[in-house]
Amino acid sequence: MGFKRPQGAVGMQKQLSPLTMRLPVLLAALVAVATCTKTFVGHQVLRVIPQSDEELQKVQELQDLEHLQLDFWLAPRKLGLPVDIRVPFPSLQAVKAHLEATGVSYSIMIEDVQALLDEEQREMLRSSRQLPLDTTTFNYDAYHTIDEIYNFMDMLVAENPNLVSKLEIGRSTENRPLYVLKFSTGGTNRPAVWIDTGIHSREWVTQASGVWFARKIVQDHANNEGVASILETMDIFLEIVTNPDGYAYTHTTDRMWRKTRSRHSGAICVGVDPNRNWDAGFGDAGASAYSCSETYHGPYPNSEPEVKSIVDFVKSHGNIKAFVSIHSYSQLLLYPYGYTETPAPNAQELHEISAKAVAALSSLYGTQYEYGSIITTIYRASGSTVDWTYNQGIKYSFTFELRDTGRYGFLLPARQIVPTAEETWLALKVIMEHARDNIY
Amino acid sequence: MPGLRSSPPALLLLFLLAVPRGSRAGQALEPGSRSAAAAARVALQYRNCQAGSLGGLRALGQVRKATLKNIPESGHKYYLQFSTEDYRTGEDAGNCLATVLYPKKKSRPVVSIKCSHTKDQKEIQEEDNRFYQRIRHQSKPITANNIPDSYGNIEPALEPVWALAVAGSSSIMWEKSTETLGYFLAQVKSVRQWIRKDDFLEFDYTVLLHEMPTQEIISCHMRLTWLPGRPLKVKHFCASEGHGAEEGSGAESGSAAAPSAEKGASF
Repeated sequence: MGFKRPQGAVGMQKQLSPLTMRLPVLLAALVAVATCTKTFVGHQVLRVIPQSDEELQKVQELQDLEHLQLDFWLAPRKLGLPVDIRVPFPSLQAVKAHLEATGVSYSIMIEDVQALLDEEQREMLRSSRQLPLDTTTFNYDAYHTIDEIYNFMDMLVAENPNLVSKLEIGRSTENRPLYVLKFSTGGTNRPAVWIDTGIHSREWVTQASGVWFARKIVQDHANNEGVASILETMDIFLEIVTNPDGYAYTHTTDRMWRKTRSRHSGAICVGVDPNRNWDAGFGDAGASAYSCSETYHGPYPNSEPEVKSIVDFVKSHGNIKAFVSIHSYSQLLLYPYGYTETPAPNAQELHEISAKAVAALSSLYGTQYEYGSIITTIYRASGSTVDWTYNQGIKYSFTFELRDTGRYGFLLPARQIVPTAEETWLALKVIMEHARDNIY
Repeated sequence: MPGLRSSPPALLLLFLLAVPRGSRAGQALEPGSRSAAAAARVALQYRNCQAGSLGGLRALGQVRKATLKNIPESGHKYYLQFSTEDYRTGEDAGNCLATVLYPKKKSRPVVSIKCSHTKDQKEIQEEDNRFYQRIRHQSKPITANNIPDSYGNIEPALEPVWALAVAGSSSIMWEKSTETLGYFLAQVKSVRQWIRKDDFLEFDYTVLLHEMPTQEIISCHMRLTWLPGRPLKVKHFCASEGHGAEEGSGAESGSAAAPSAEKGASF
């Protein structure tokens, strides 16, 4: 277990040393003790600055009173130098009385040592890379590794066993589990919403947003607001790390990696674009047959286990009513088709939903989105996720491209994670509510 | 006014096909259209490198108006009106009027651009001087990697070096842009300063460009020199293969050396 390193100089100072410099070391030491046996509830740290020889003597007398169990953080030395004393709760009255009786003035540096220790411990957990204890201490303002996200999922399930469960829908090429969180208040095979993030591994704001969405669903349910009403009649499925092999690779080797990490015989390069591998216009214009390309469609549809596992899940579930696949960057809300210019049968409805969703998104921070069909709004793309889900009959199939529009691109600063997730959530709610209110 | 623009399916295509080519008025484009935004971006890339200023770097705000004309024997010409933002701060930086001609023959886009200011020239010059001094006063030649880092952070001390990379790579991106291929600066992979006897700053950069719609990451080497008030001098060389060219298991049917030759890789 690691402790924060002391921020300032340690030990006796010739001149006045600010308490803050000494604090982290001493607190760290106390934390070590506190986590074992002792508690410091009600303990206070008093500061005395002796101005006369009598005052100095009075303070020095305190050192001999062992039964008081005083802990001198700064021992009495000479006039004008501060003396800091940690006083256990039972001794407080006696010490203060002793000082006041002799007219020695003191100030209370720390009102309650335990409170400060608790805060320090929380702070250490927040800022360190060690695993947080619960989803309250988890840092949503940071990008996380796969292990941290998988740990988060387990914590979320453990804290909310009646709402959240974790499903393993398959394994990646490198044998990493593919996990989906299911949010359900009951029923049997209720109509459902599917959301996936991180299918393209370099789009880090999406996995990070997925983590935030998971917690948001739980919070809304607990507070009986937001999506609580949707959960009364529908289930939500959320796959946060849809391409774990790629995601691991962006951490260890290449931050710009997009595809899966599969090696197919006859292919010069590694990886298939999981958003060109679906069986909708597979291999048509809008994807590449060249394995080294970022839009390589793969040797055949669903060749990628990351894709096949979702296909199998969707088919066997049979009751998914809305499907949202999340990417970055460009700030777009897209609906089918990408592989053909033929408009989707309910393109008009999808267009209207998009307008509403984008307005909701924009209302929070003013972020501007464009919207429309994939082929007219971004580019022709074949074998893409939502073209397949749409052709399966999932009428409300959408793709998001989150922040930004190119200034940072894939390397979106972590401070933008939560604002991005918050605004996107408003758009997702519009889509989910429309699906709930237009059950088919 | 926030522009919530849409691209009604197929309507735009019908419109473009219906209007006779070479019509003098040109065809109005939806301000939200990708090609209008891409052309506006090219115009700004051109301006960002021509201006030779770091304090004056701009990013695209919103396209307000866009028209497309086919100039017979010449190419496609875009007429654009758009707002801009300060590249670093995101603050409103003023509006621009620009034309961008994508020549029929494969060569760089021809850009003319005129912009209004929210910052006056003196302010921009002072910023440039501040950037310049920050680099000059380093005790050792600057070397660095990964700007921004994986988490989107740029160390404050490296901001001037990053701004210089934005300005320099703008020249690469402008030159490479076509009506169907556009670029974004994805990351500064590495930078190394060369100390000169004169006052000019000189740097070697490796920058990663994100190419759309192919999604490729193109690695480019860039040598640039700069003095505030002078145009940027940029020499560059980009690798022809995408960054994914690595291991694999065997020979492939079809051309391995020409990704642009296969169907559908670009729009």
